[in-house]
Amino acid sequence: MLMKIKYTSNRILIADDDPVIRHLVTSIVTRVGYTPVTLSDGRAAFSLLKADANFKAAILDMSMPFLEGLDLIRYMRTEKRLMRIPVVLITADQNIKLMADSFAAGATAFLPKPFTPDQLQNLLRMLLAAKLPSTRAA
Amino acid sequence: MSADLLRMDDYLAKSLIRPALANGGGAATQALDPVVLASLDEAWDEGEADLVVELIDLYLGDAPQWVEAIRTAAAENDATVLKRVAHTLKGSSGSLGIRQVAEVCGMLELNCSESAARVNELLQLLVQEFNTARAALAAERLRRLA
Repeated sequence: MLMKIKYTSNRILIADDDPVIRHLVTSIVTRVGYTPVTLSDGRAAFSLLKADANFKAAILDMSMPFLEGLDLIRYMRTEKRLMRIPVVLITADQNIKLMADSFAAGATAFLPKPFTPDQLQNLLRMLLAAKLPSTRAA
Repeated sequence: MSADLLRMDDYLAKSLIRPALANGGGAATQALDPVVLASLDEAWDEGEADLVVELIDLYLGDAPQWVEAIRTAAAENDATVLKRVAHTLKGSSGSLGIRQVAEVCGMLELNCSESAARVNELLQLLVQEFNTARAALAAERLRRLA
């Protein structure tokens, strides 16, 4: 018997306190064909994630008011319902230690600012290609 | 901070400050990186809303408040706020190709706990570069909407 695993959510969570970056990311996510759910700080993202795990991916800024991106990722990796969600961490800081800390916390990808629309589009396509509906033997 | 890092920091600051002062704050044409604007344009099709104009509008709406917040934080010797706001302005500016403002913000982040004279020196440079960038952004916006 074959069972089809369906990922019904088309939503991508975006949390960034910078309106310029938030709009840029939102535009790219929409263009790639997903539905953006945007928030402007880490605490709001945390509140939403406590009640809602229906996201295809999350794009989080490292430095946000109230709760930083790394802390959000650590929380997501301790919750079974959130573990499957790939997380892209974006930051204007560029150093090896920060990158290592991000992956250690559970980030799926690290995107330094400034980034081009192409870079984010390609990253999303690469990450989400692995999340396309698949078929497996039951 | 080690002596080596301080020397490197000083070198970087001077390398930023000297060219900016030499050309009177930088011509408007140099304030925006055309490569960054082109990369934003390439991802959009004709007929869609101009993403660069939308981003410029957001930037011009928010960035003046961030510069003011940096000024206030510097006056109050609040290194934490200064660093956080400079970081935000750096990311926003870099994404629009406003390289000089992004670089000065990076220097402010690094020097947020240094002497008031040092912070004020960088603050003056930030205001100068920001005003240049603001004029260039307004011109770019008009050009695109024409």
